[in-house]
Amino acid sequence: MLLEVRDLHVEFRTRDGVAKAVNGVSYGVDAGETLAVLGESGSGKSVTAQAVMGILDTPPGRIAGGEILFQGQDLLKLKEEERRKVRGAGMAMIFQDALSSLNPVLSVGDQLGEMFVVHRGMSRKDARARAVELMDRVRIPGAKERVKQYPHQFSGGMRQRIMIAMALALEPALIIADEPTTALDVTVQAQVMDLLGELRREYDMGLILITHDLGVVADVADRIAVMYAGRIVEQAPVRDIYKAPAHPYTRGLLDSIPRLDQKGQELYAIRGLPPNLMDIPPGCAFNPRCPMARDVCRTDVPPLAEVAQDRASACHFWRECLHG
Amino acid sequence: MAEPILEVRGLVKHYPLTRGILFKKQVGAVKAVDGVDFTLARGETLGIVGESGCGKSTVARMLVNLERPTAGSITFKGEDISGLSGRALKAVRRNIQMVFQDPYTSLNPRMTVGDIIGEPYDIHPEVAPKGDRRARVRDLLDVVGLNPEYINRYPHQFSGGQRQRIGIARGLALRPEIIVADEPVSALDVSVQAQVINLLDRLQNEFELSYVFIAHDLSIVRHISDRVGVMYLGRIVETGRDAEIYDHPTHPYTQALLSAVPVPDPEARERRERIILAGDVPSPTSVPSGCRFRTRCWKAQERCALEVPELAVPAEFRLLPGPAAHDSACHFAEEKRVVPPEEGPRPVPPPGPTGPGTGEGPGTGDGLGTGDGLGTGDGPGTGNGPG
Amino acid sequence: MPEQPYEPDGAIAGTGAGGAMDLAASEAQTLERTPGGPRGTGPQGKPRSLWSDAWRDLRRNPVFIVSALFIVFLVVISLWPSLIASGNPLNCDLAKAQQGSQPGHPFGFDGQGCDVYTRTVYGARTSVSVGVLATLGVSVLGSVLGGLAGFFGGTGDSVLSRITDVFFAIPVVLGGLVLLSVVVTNTIWPVIGFMVLLGWPQISRIARGSVITAKQNDYVQAARALGASNSRLLLRHIAPNAIAPVIVVATIALGTYISLEATLSYLGVGLKPPAVSWGIDISAASAYIRNAPHMLLWPAGALAVTVLAFIMLGDAVRDALDPKLR
Repeated sequence: MLLEVRDLHVEFRTRDGVAKAVNGVSYGVDAGETLAVLGESGSGKSVTAQAVMGILDTPPGRIAGGEILFQGQDLLKLKEEERRKVRGAGMAMIFQDALSSLNPVLSVGDQLGEMFVVHRGMSRKDARARAVELMDRVRIPGAKERVKQYPHQFSGGMRQRIMIAMALALEPALIIADEPTTALDVTVQAQVMDLLGELRREYDMGLILITHDLGVVADVADRIAVMYAGRIVEQAPVRDIYKAPAHPYTRGLLDSIPRLDQKGQELYAIRGLPPNLMDIPPGCAFNPRCPMARDVCRTDVPPLAEVAQDRASACHFWRECLHG
Repeated sequence: MAEPILEVRGLVKHYPLTRGILFKKQVGAVKAVDGVDFTLARGETLGIVGESGCGKSTVARMLVNLERPTAGSITFKGEDISGLSGRALKAVRRNIQMVFQDPYTSLNPRMTVGDIIGEPYDIHPEVAPKGDRRARVRDLLDVVGLNPEYINRYPHQFSGGQRQRIGIARGLALRPEIIVADEPVSALDVSVQAQVINLLDRLQNEFELSYVFIAHDLSIVRHISDRVGVMYLGRIVETGRDAEIYDHPTHPYTQALLSAVPVPDPEARERRERIILAGDVPSPTSVPSGCRFRTRCWKAQERCALEVPELAVPAEFRLLPGPAAHDSACHFAEEKRVVPPEEGPRPVPPPGPTGPGTGEGPGTGDGLGTGDGLGTGDGPGTGNGPG
Repeated sequence: MPEQPYEPDGAIAGTGAGGAMDLAASEAQTLERTPGGPRGTGPQGKPRSLWSDAWRDLRRNPVFIVSALFIVFLVVISLWPSLIASGNPLNCDLAKAQQGSQPGHPFGFDGQGCDVYTRTVYGARTSVSVGVLATLGVSVLGSVLGGLAGFFGGTGDSVLSRITDVFFAIPVVLGGLVLLSVVVTNTIWPVIGFMVLLGWPQISRIARGSVITAKQNDYVQAARALGASNSRLLLRHIAPNAIAPVIVVATIALGTYISLEATLSYLGVGLKPPAVSWGIDISAASAYIRNAPHMLLWPAGALAVTVLAFIMLGDAVRDALDPKLR
């Protein structure tokens, strides 16, 4: 395993109490594999990624337990300085909002080249050449001319490509993309997703795609982990999960998406609201919203049980869900 | 077609670009909306789709008179409302209300929910006598599936979906005939989006509303709309009934847009043809000559640069009636099916007890629409949870 | 690998950290927004406004408590100085000039033989009244002008902006020396008038910016779409959401007006003896700084602590009201 998160717990201290954002998450990514982490806001998907990257704001955040093994080494045991070396060269992150992640007063070429100057000790001229090369790799047309331009001169899709180029610069073994296409238009979304997939193959990287959109990841992910209230509720290869979900939450999400190929009647809607992380319901966190909930769901936390090979579900009644 | 309630003709909004501080000189214009026509029938939902910057939100703002059109007319029940002001404008506003995209910025954080939903009555006191307003606000909360006890709370005590319900209640307060919804669910969580869409559906029947539903999500627009207009760079390029647009698109932009929609089905990819458009949307300050889509179109020819294609049924379809014979602004319109039907029906949601019975568990009772599940569109009051 | 000031991961992770933080914050906030507990009872169930939230924050902030208590004390003694000082600040005995601390006169005597303790206590009245009245005047004038300019925009706004630029170009102390030197009355009013004249552009600029930000909010558009009048938009929707920065800046400015009064009095263009003011006393004491430093110490100390208290109060209020920290 390239990256293995084991039983991670993260808390946030707020003025109203402690919010348990991540409650025992475990997942792993191999080199050359794409894991999609799917969840709504408050599910803990981004917080987990921030903990892995080591960019969690502490305080208010606090890693309350668990291990993050990257290439066999527990990142949580490293000193901050050692950790910083892992970032960039070992793993890199792509954010949703490319415009605010780029420095507006530096040309794109300078920002891309800076990495080679700083990390690889290259001369400015060589670094500029590498920047052009990177822009070519992320398929920005006319890279030679555009390398001198500033971020605001690029469209949203092109800026996201520049962010991808930056993440790629030091050829990291793992890329974490947090909602990389959410801010983009549909026609551009597909381009950027395709690009990420191609680059992942080309460089044999591990890719973690964090998203709330079931549709976006269907094409590119190998495996999907669905998160709810800081836990993974279902983990499965991508085909299986869309065909036959083994958790009522996943099933509800799939059913509540309107279809493009026909005009539906009333939409299926998961009732209620995502839980308050300061007051997570006892037992299964999904039980108040679950159409299958029974007494045991209100008292016992369901373990993440193996459903089939490489598939797991944290539902007491996964059999019913899968076959019912 | 049913009786038209709203007619938009030649709607244009240009924002002048000026230079100079004291002596302003116009050096160009942002052509946000550049000649839009449509008709909304009573009780109908017209969906307007397009990518960011296509002008769909500007159209919405002109419909509710937040922006003045540069040219064109908006006719509500036979009266042009685009130039109204003062008392006449105020009267028209009662009938056309808006639901905003962002439930976090569309509610005043310093006002209670009761004050927010009751504000329309303060502005239009003739609608409800003073003593009656509080009761009306409670009714409205109930109608949108919120607990009427929440009347004294502040917006930040609610989740996004609940806030959007508050925004919808405010929009309903004056009993408008038309609601313009500008991306009403795009800021919400997936599991909550469906609740709000069902709510809008139910309210349409209950209050005989006509909707102009603006969104970038094509699946949601198909779900809710009777007719759809596709916008590109300030113009509608194709319009028709939902099946005509989705199953028989004839404009290349619509085809590309539809082919790019991510579908939650990994196997669908193999059956779908994906049209990847070249380049980016041109800037609305320098709109291409002729057909504005030609710079990204794979069919573009010389004619496209010279002649602006008209939004009408293309000549080749005019003689054969059928779903492909709908308005499409393309010189080389051609039917192309890009959305293959999914294999079989979606898995049926697991059966289970619904309604107040299950709502008793701890942590629920948030007053959200428990009745929005599989059940039929129950009337108001089901949304109350175990109140 | 050597440590570098600028790291590429800094460019990705670092510059993005703002975004990441927002995400985490928004995730946490969503939770906060969800009414807790069944049927919304419990501690979060009570209706609470942003102001009461701010007040809750302030009550827990020791900086706020200390500075607020001191300011309350200051206000009380400026209203009723005889509560803690039995003497008369103008009752001076030249024979005791420059004498140090002695029983009944803990701060000693100044160059004219006046009791420094009594004068320091009575000086608070001048400082507090000048500070409070000047701040009130500046805030009212500045926020009305700035608010209207921000709301309506257009030519009026451009003209006002140029006028504020002109006022910002006037050096305050020099302006005071020139304008106040022609004044003959020895009351606090000319000083306050001068401060309002030169101070309003600062508040006006803040109010204008704050109103422009607030008026772009969707809830203002929503009210406009309902047909709300301009006065309703301004008073009900914009003002309550735009006032916080004005309050913060005004509180901090209050401290600076107090020190400006002292400065002007020190320079001889503010209040003049026989008025009682810390500035006058500091000015008088500066001549004796070698022989009798206590004369300078007490009024200067009182001035410094007072200014500091207002600035700290302003800081605490800003922390409590700043929505970004919420």
